[in-house]
Amino acid sequence: MSETSSDEARRLAQGARDRVRFEEEALALADQVYRVARGVSRSKEEAEDLMQETYARAFRSWQSYTPGTNLRAWLLRILTNLNIDRGRRAQRTPDSQPLEEGDYFLYNRLEAATGETDEERVLERLSQDHIAEALGAVPHDFRDVLVLVDIADFSYAEAAQILDIPIGTVMSRLHRGRRILKQQLAELSVGA
Amino acid sequence: MSEIDPCEWCEEVLQPYLDRELDEADEAKVKHHLAACGWCEKRYKFEEDLRRLVRRAAVEPMEPALKLKLSELRLEL
Repeated sequence: MSETSSDEARRLAQGARDRVRFEEEALALADQVYRVARGVSRSKEEAEDLMQETYARAFRSWQSYTPGTNLRAWLLRILTNLNIDRGRRAQRTPDSQPLEEGDYFLYNRLEAATGETDEERVLERLSQDHIAEALGAVPHDFRDVLVLVDIADFSYAEAAQILDIPIGTVMSRLHRGRRILKQQLAELSVGA
Repeated sequence: MSEIDPCEWCEEVLQPYLDRELDEADEAKVKHHLAACGWCEKRYKFEEDLRRLVRRAAVEPMEPALKLKLSELRLEL
């Protein structure tokens, strides 16, 4: 009898230790998770809210995390799902606009507008503000993929898993997202 | 005559090349072309630099106050 209750106590203590470890590991990843939160949000305030919701949910459902698997991806799956649920997706969608231009078009446009032929000088035409603004103008479905792959360094396969979409969709959204980004940059930088 | 223009082909494979998703043969083909074509080489370099700028644009450290709030969300023991 007393043995069972001490087993029980041991199990409870072990559970508490596992949970604390989980919480510490999750918090240690907060900076990396924040980069994604900021990338998919319109403002810093929105990113901060999203972080708090994500961590509150993660801490509540820590038992559904399988130790040894990718915790960062697990946290980001919560984050991207919450972000979709928040219905903050009302926005203009340049989806129907044709994007027939090739991948060189931004460079060609900048080179033509500046008369520069040196790559570094052409690059200087892009300000950090324009890039942040252009990124903000990419529709969310595309931006989520762009942020996960280009900013958070996930592979196509990992991004597919986090967003729960097929890998082919990751690739097409990435492709389209980058095109839209460049189109926005062209408009902002040279009014093209 | 049916031979595809190498610059056009390089433009098409720019993204998968930078994502390291091309197979070895195609990757070698790109490298071979870039070594000889300054026009394409410049555009590849630009794309790489652009990605770096995008990455930098998104890096904005988290406020310490937020970090504190997150740790306060931990469950009570």
